[in-house]
Amino acid sequence: MTRCDRFETEAVHLLEQGLPLDEHFSSCPDCLAARAAYERLGERVSALSGDEEPPPGWEARVWQRIEDRRRSRHRWGPWWVVPVAVAALAAFLFVRIPGQGPPSLRVEVEPGTTVRRGLEAQPGDRLQLKATTGGVDYCELRVYRNDAELILRCSTEPPCSRRGRELRASVALDGIGRYQPLLLFSKRPLPASASDLQTDTGAALAAGADVELGSEIVVR
Amino acid sequence: MLSLVPNSRQSPGSPADPEQSVLAALDRRDPEEALGILMRAYGTAVYRFCRQMVGDDDLAQEVHQMTFVQAFEGLPKFGRRSSLRTWLFGIARHRCLDLLKMNRRRHKRFGPIEEAPDQPEPGDSVEDRLAERSRAQALESCLRTLNPRIRTAVLLRYQQGLSYPEIARISDEKAPALQLRVARALPVLRRCLEEKGMAP
Repeated sequence: MTRCDRFETEAVHLLEQGLPLDEHFSSCPDCLAARAAYERLGERVSALSGDEEPPPGWEARVWQRIEDRRRSRHRWGPWWVVPVAVAALAAFLFVRIPGQGPPSLRVEVEPGTTVRRGLEAQPGDRLQLKATTGGVDYCELRVYRNDAELILRCSTEPPCSRRGRELRASVALDGIGRYQPLLLFSKRPLPASASDLQTDTGAALAAGADVELGSEIVVR
Repeated sequence: MLSLVPNSRQSPGSPADPEQSVLAALDRRDPEEALGILMRAYGTAVYRFCRQMVGDDDLAQEVHQMTFVQAFEGLPKFGRRSSLRTWLFGIARHRCLDLLKMNRRRHKRFGPIEEAPDQPEPGDSVEDRLAERSRAQALESCLRTLNPRIRTAVLLRYQQGLSYPEIARISDEKAPALQLRVARALPVLRRCLEEKGMAP
């Protein structure tokens, strides 16, 4: 005889919506047992960290941080001085000496011909990668799908193109999944890829390389 | 209202409600007093929420303190469109999700941080207490398998006892969608516990 699973499939939803349950749920033994189990589950979540308190003196540390931030603001003058200065410096560097900054990676999705659904990427879109290499000897752009499939790896050869200290590449997002772009750079040759994000980044770091992760793109 | 949520929480407007005291302090243009009341009233609840969200004592302390620092900076602009408690948990939620996102990126870059093995607490000789601790650890572990946004909703609902409209304001999501997520998450948690031999 199969167990009644109506509590799990129906009643949990009704209860979360604050709706009444029908007669079945007050007479079915399986549902009564399930309800008791869910009530215990609720009690356990409620009791989580129930005996934990913030560490003694935490309020004083909050006040200290507030005071530190006030002092920091006074030292820098009006609130708008820092953002304006940073923006001016960034604009200067961008306009005057493109590609001369530290290694960085910018990721953009170029829409395909399909109709857009909000901000998500879709099959058919293209991933545009633009990296600043910072003048290092060795650098590579890579893109992994679902952390386990290397779909782009290039340096100076196509599909990468290098101009001065800028490295660009474009890759088609031809299937659903998570796409993780990254820039590897080092003064020494970069290790080979095992087509696995964790393994490869671990090997690169172990070989003294640096890794710059770009924004992960989810294609649905 | 029928619910699986075990305990009802203090409602705004009750005699011991700190909300009115904080609002009165804000009316007097005394944000220091307002923050003091907020910390006394909600400090522990916010800490417990942060602890379950980030799963680490040190990180929880960091994000907990930053929540109140940010609350202090935002108090003069508090729009009174929600309760202060809802507003405060909204800040805590943002800080926790930011931290989890940052950790995820660091994890990808440098691999997981090794966790020190749990040491038994002094005086933990009673079997019941150990069993209870194991159950709590199993539940914490199961909660961490949930997507952080779903975990937030489950904790705000069941640990903090917030209503769905309140959670919706905090999360900037629709209440029915949150109800559905939580209702789907509960069987997942139950099965996860059963697989660990810790049936609720």
